[in-house]
Amino acid sequence: MLAYILRRLLIAIGTVWVISVVSFAIIQLPPGDYVTSYIAQLMSTGTMVTQEEAENLRAQYGLDQPIYVQYAKWMWQVLQGNFGVSMEWKRPVTEVIGDRLLLTALLAFTAVIFTWILAIPIGIYSAVRQYSVGDYVVTCMGFIGLAVPNFLLALVIMYLAFAYFGASVGGLFSPEYIDAPWSWSRVQDLLKHLWIPAIILSTAGTAQLIRILRANLLDELRKPYVVTARAKGLSELRAILKYPVRVALNPFISTVGYTLPFLVSGSIIVSIVLSLPTVGPLLLKALLAQDMFLAGTIVLLLGVMTVIGTLISDILLVWIDPRIRLEE
Amino acid sequence: MRGPWQIRKTGESRWWLAVALCFLAACGWMGGYAVAAGPAGSDLLGKLEGPEVVTDLAQFPKSFKEAPQLVELVKAGKLPPVQERVSQDPLVIKPVHETGKYGGTWRRGFSGPADFWNGYRCCGHDKILFWDYTGNKVAPNVAKGWEISDDGRTITVFLRKGMKWSDGHPFTADDFVFWYEDIYQNNELVPVKIPVLSINGKPGKMEKVDDSTIRFKFEDPYFAFVDVLAGATDLGGNALRGRELTGGFAPKHYLQQFHPKYVGKEAVDKLVKAAGQDNWVNFMKLKNDWSLNPELPTITAWKTTTPINTPTWVLERNPYFYMVDTAGNQLPYIDKVIMTVTENLEVLNLRAIAGEYDFQARHIDIGKLPVFLENQVKGNYKVYLDPADSGCDACMFLNQTYDADPEIAKWLQNRDFRIALSLGIDRDQLNEAFWLGVGTPGSQVLAESSPYSPGPEYRTMHSTHDPAKANQLLDSIGLTKKDAEGYRLRTDGKGRLRIELITVGGQFLQFTQIAEMIREHWRKIGIQADISEIERSLAITRSGANELQAQLWQNDGTEHFFTFPGHLFPFQAENALGGVNMGPLWARWFRSNGTQGKEPSPPMKKLMEMWKKAFGVPQDERIKLGKEIWRIAVEEQWAIGTVGLSPAAQGVRIVSNNMGNIPARQYNSPDGMTPATSRPETFFFKK
Amino acid sequence: MAEEAVLHDVETPVVPGTTDAGERIYVASQWQLMWWRFRKHHLAMAAGIVVVCFYLVAIFADFLATTDPELSDAKRSLMPPQRIHWFDGWRLRPHVYAVKGARDPKTFKRVYQVDPTQKIPVSVFARGFTYKLFGLIPTDRHLLGVGPGYEAAQTLFILGTDVQGRDLWSRLLFATRISVSIGLVGVALSLFLGVLLGGVSGFYGGWIDTLIQRIIEIFRSIPTIPLWMGLAAALPRDWSILQVYFAITIIISLLGWTELARVVRGRFLALREEDFVVAARLAGCSQMRIIFVHMVPSFMSHIIAATTLALPAMIISETSLSFLGLGLRPPAVSWGVLLQQAQNVQTVAISPWLMLPAIPVIIAVLAFNFLGDGLRDAADPYGH
Repeated sequence: MLAYILRRLLIAIGTVWVISVVSFAIIQLPPGDYVTSYIAQLMSTGTMVTQEEAENLRAQYGLDQPIYVQYAKWMWQVLQGNFGVSMEWKRPVTEVIGDRLLLTALLAFTAVIFTWILAIPIGIYSAVRQYSVGDYVVTCMGFIGLAVPNFLLALVIMYLAFAYFGASVGGLFSPEYIDAPWSWSRVQDLLKHLWIPAIILSTAGTAQLIRILRANLLDELRKPYVVTARAKGLSELRAILKYPVRVALNPFISTVGYTLPFLVSGSIIVSIVLSLPTVGPLLLKALLAQDMFLAGTIVLLLGVMTVIGTLISDILLVWIDPRIRLEE
Repeated sequence: MRGPWQIRKTGESRWWLAVALCFLAACGWMGGYAVAAGPAGSDLLGKLEGPEVVTDLAQFPKSFKEAPQLVELVKAGKLPPVQERVSQDPLVIKPVHETGKYGGTWRRGFSGPADFWNGYRCCGHDKILFWDYTGNKVAPNVAKGWEISDDGRTITVFLRKGMKWSDGHPFTADDFVFWYEDIYQNNELVPVKIPVLSINGKPGKMEKVDDSTIRFKFEDPYFAFVDVLAGATDLGGNALRGRELTGGFAPKHYLQQFHPKYVGKEAVDKLVKAAGQDNWVNFMKLKNDWSLNPELPTITAWKTTTPINTPTWVLERNPYFYMVDTAGNQLPYIDKVIMTVTENLEVLNLRAIAGEYDFQARHIDIGKLPVFLENQVKGNYKVYLDPADSGCDACMFLNQTYDADPEIAKWLQNRDFRIALSLGIDRDQLNEAFWLGVGTPGSQVLAESSPYSPGPEYRTMHSTHDPAKANQLLDSIGLTKKDAEGYRLRTDGKGRLRIELITVGGQFLQFTQIAEMIREHWRKIGIQADISEIERSLAITRSGANELQAQLWQNDGTEHFFTFPGHLFPFQAENALGGVNMGPLWARWFRSNGTQGKEPSPPMKKLMEMWKKAFGVPQDERIKLGKEIWRIAVEEQWAIGTVGLSPAAQGVRIVSNNMGNIPARQYNSPDGMTPATSRPETFFFKK
Repeated sequence: MAEEAVLHDVETPVVPGTTDAGERIYVASQWQLMWWRFRKHHLAMAAGIVVVCFYLVAIFADFLATTDPELSDAKRSLMPPQRIHWFDGWRLRPHVYAVKGARDPKTFKRVYQVDPTQKIPVSVFARGFTYKLFGLIPTDRHLLGVGPGYEAAQTLFILGTDVQGRDLWSRLLFATRISVSIGLVGVALSLFLGVLLGGVSGFYGGWIDTLIQRIIEIFRSIPTIPLWMGLAAALPRDWSILQVYFAITIIISLLGWTELARVVRGRFLALREEDFVVAARLAGCSQMRIIFVHMVPSFMSHIIAATTLALPAMIISETSLSFLGLGLRPPAVSWGVLLQQAQNVQTVAISPWLMLPAIPVIIAVLAFNFLGDGLRDAADPYGH
């Protein structure tokens, strides 16, 4: 078991290194660099930047070096824990991301909770009452959630919330609480804003979960031990919940490691539409502006989270399911 | 037990019924929108008005008053009394409507750390001189007056005695000298010298006459220098340009602690390292950035207390501000400006619709005008329209130096061809669809109200919708052969004549959709347009590389085309869009004084020469030259105008009903830094 | 899950006179069994029909459209959907009323007044704009149109118009053509790579397997949005929008094969030990033959199901990326482009019919999902 973990860990580190190279390459792919997009911004307000000034700016930001030199410098800094300074925000990258990481995690967590609250009962119901009216209705509702383009849904819900409920528009806080220190009223304000994005994000994942849970549960329910339990006089509810559901939930637990990176990248579009202060929109803006250190760090972070997620999932799976351990 | 098949059938049919009901309900909801409705709008286009600078000494106030919280601070001994703070020669302003009240917080929205112009426009007005509310007259600002010698070679600028920085330090000519000698002349800090500090290529000099007088000396006459000092140029003040280390002056007492000349290189390097920077120049730029550094002393009405790279950009009252109203109240009336970040512009507009902002024109989308009007009562605000004076919000720039395809190049350089393209565009259609009918169709010439306007006939010259004439012109120049679908063929036998039209997405106007409509109009004159939307940085690179045939872009700023020449003619080849696409090789020729690039055609050469000459001649002759410049531009149609003189570019203004001294109409100009021309220091909250 | 047994193409001699329905199961081929089982899944059948309809729409888009989708006229800007009136008095004569529009000077909205005196007849198989059916046969017949003397472009607006005055119904049909066909190439490529690499990985095992697994893991960890952005900006400038999109779809499918490869690998690992594979090896078949003739058909059904389920993901990616400005862009027209143009406050508040393209997206995704589910269930004919 230990050897397995160690082996996976080593491979994970190798994977992370490859991801760092790939992320850096991706960011450099579009023609131009941060200075080009900075100049584009200046130019759209009438400020003229000459070619010499542009060259100067590049030298200032270290963008005139060849790519591998820039990569080496960046990697060296990262290994020392220095993630660089964002060229657009003019603040250390850790500060810029740090502000948003907590909120991203909160949003992801809430979305996952919502998804499970919706999916588990529906999945159980539709497995137990297979082919009934209720099965079809809730399955369809779950799938509609998957099929509706969630950026459109976000805009419509945001507008309706404003037009009919006078809710404050977008974001995760009302203007007066944005910079305020944490307090109970700030938490309440956050919860008031959090439910819209959490619901929109959870609609997509619900269908998937329902489907998996339903399939797994159906398999389990046909097994002999369920028949035995019923024959022995166990109530229907207990017979279902006590063993089959727990077995059917196994795959969920093992895939929990994937949720954070998935939600961060999957929520980019909804976060952009609702203007949420999370990591998603930050990444998009950084990529558009080719803000190398910020974009590179976020992409690296996502990659690392995915690798760690896979690692955790694999370890959990091995731990929970003895068959796999024996196979290895 | 009933067979599964049977249950499935009823279940399914019920499901389909439900879907059908939802569908019908949706149809009904949408049907409701066909009906005309809406609360009464207001008169949106008002009269141009604004506050005026009082120069008559007899009307100056004798005693001064200040904001209540400042009164407390004076009592506590933390601030000197108000008459010592506003300088001995305060700037006296007569507010547009009434004397205001102190207090209140101005809420705005900004889009992120790159949106510093948002703050410059509302709150950062420390230009040496200023454009008044008409946009055409130079007024005092930081300087109380100026003098040009008769030969135009010497411009003297008079500062205000006793004026102070926001931390109480005296603001004197020494701050100008410090900037000029210690920052500007330092080739590490400012490696590329400012073009506007030279005339005919010869750099000028700045010198101190006394503590409150500065003199600029040039080798050749430079009468237009006064306009340069009034505009948003490289000499436009420390708030506007400090981040690039230009601007004309800088706080000596603050910046000298970061300057090797005053504290030695080692000390500076230590400070740079301690701040986590690796580069002294970068460090200096950060320290001198009005939007980023709360410790930087300033002379603007509000000073940054929470910087722009956080979710809220907060600016607070500067107790040493030198502007007062005619009743002696030290300005500004408003205590605080809070800008909240909204990265998504749809959300920003929706917040404006919800009434979450008090005075907002930046990022407001003209396409949403009906929604704004609909919600005026609910949001407690009023909508104003401030049309710009520039002729086209979407100009088509045709590349005269394009050389990748000789056939296309030949036609682009043919004046009749360009005129035919222009006559083929149905501007009324564009105006109705994209400007909601509020724009003015016509050529790219600036507004008739400008002193430089060559005359109203130039608005419609070559710029009406006349497909018959266009077809005639195209036939007459030799494009007579057409293919089966009616498109004209190239004369070199290589098929259909196609013009590649480049647009950039995500701008304040839907350039790509406008291009699509133009493409449909050109079908009737037999010209095929291939539209390609590309990303902005890529567009800039390709423009400079002379790869574009035609580009749609705005020509804002051309109402002040001496300080903003970029879209009038190809002024610079790199890092530009719009005007550069009239001929990037001509731009290179212009910049290098004839050593690089390609020599322009005679009319363009003449235009460039007149433009350069205009800086050195007195006002009335400059006006004559300006008119002639516009005549050439319209007659040559290097840039085809579509619709302009509109409020599309930051001209849709949402103002809370709670604000006072709000002009009915503003001069909308980047050079004027609207709303600066309306002196936001005089805005106040009624309650 | 239990391993399913695989029935081979065995020729059982049929005793004349005993072709009982129950007997048919034992002699039916694998594909027949799949089909019978699929038929029982009614939702999947309905979904299959819907999918076929989508592709028919893609082929016949010109025929179904009423006007040229590019014709614009600001006088028709932002018109709401028209009502088709079926009865004129007592006679069945479908018609629409003429509409006149103007901009309300107070609210700045486009306001349209219906003129009940002008009845414009709507007919089936009417004459309209010319086009080439299947790209070959020039014709001007359309499913719906207006009577002679009227121009459909100026009178018939089944789903309303957009801000340029272009007919939404016609645009939606052409958008369908692009959106449903563009995913096919990417999915086909994913399929090829997935089967190839997954098969190799599963069949040979050992270090090849480990290497491919690690590569798969790296691919899965790369966040797709930055990759899309980088690629979208890095491709050659003179490619048309469609070419660029095809290129990106292909490159993205190079990332998408991982899921399919894992499934295929799992199947191969299981099948490797089966008797019939051992028998084929002993009989002297080459490895390629074993893979393609004996093993692949056994899990072909799973492949088909996985592929069908990959298509909705393609559709959703297209809409999301076009929204971000990275996928298809105007002047191309697709579901994503139409939704991107509807993605603003004024549409939601004042012209919501522009959001109608969301409905075909929803239906297509649902249909492909149900079809895929049905195929996957049917792919296991010896299961429950």
